[in-house]
Amino acid sequence: MILPRGMAQPAELEKEIAALAPYPPGVIKVRYAVEDDWSGDPAIYFRITLSDEAARREVRRQHTRRITDYIEERLDPIRRWDLFPYFNFRSESEQAELQDKLWN
Amino acid sequence: MAYNDDLLEHARFLAQLNPTAPKQVDLRRSVSAAYYSLSHLLTTDAAQNWKNANQRYRFARLFEHSQMRSCASRIVSRPLPSDPAQVSPANDLVFVAKTFCKLQGERHTADYDGTKVWTQSEAADLIDIAEDAIAAWSRIRTRELAQDFLLDLLGSRQ
Repeated sequence: MILPRGMAQPAELEKEIAALAPYPPGVIKVRYAVEDDWSGDPAIYFRITLSDEAARREVRRQHTRRITDYIEERLDPIRRWDLFPYFNFRSESEQAELQDKLWN
Repeated sequence: MAYNDDLLEHARFLAQLNPTAPKQVDLRRSVSAAYYSLSHLLTTDAAQNWKNANQRYRFARLFEHSQMRSCASRIVSRPLPSDPAQVSPANDLVFVAKTFCKLQGERHTADYDGTKVWTQSEAADLIDIAEDAIAAWSRIRTRELAQDFLLDLLGSRQ
């Protein structure tokens, strides 16, 4: 069995993700985790905290799409790291209320 | 209104309930409905190619979610065509396939992972993505590559 590159070379992946900063406007924090998804396929889960302004309903999609494209174009998780990308977005206020450790 | 439109509208309704104190059950069902909106659209479109209209509902039920996921996953990882005229529709199909895989994964988490806490922003974003994928599908649905995709969703070609 061949280990996906994103799992075999976590340090390299971490370096590339660190180099993605600075992110497009609206991003407060980016966290990620590499693990199998429900189907058993290797995946990378991005947990992205947005400013409350960027998370407003009227502009949210514009921001989330720009951020998703930004990361996918530079990292190319599927082709370069053999990882299927999942992107989840929360507002700063939502995370402040939840204090979810995975997002801190 | 088509059933998949109803599902998307229902997803939005659930995601926006109780804006100051959203309930997890509403957000989870919202994410699930967003996935089924796209999934149902694809299987219904595929069933339209079945000649006997009375059997189309049964035909649509032949599709298996895991098989559809495998097919969509292959589309996502294959290279784009070299013909510039085909790049835009191919990009639309990749977006539909990628969104299908993503929403199916999120649906599974929403339905089975009780430890995951959902927020309105997360649910709303997934609904937006489903809506974008449905728009992308509407641009390509009659093209050969989209029709091939529908057939492939049923099972691998030999």
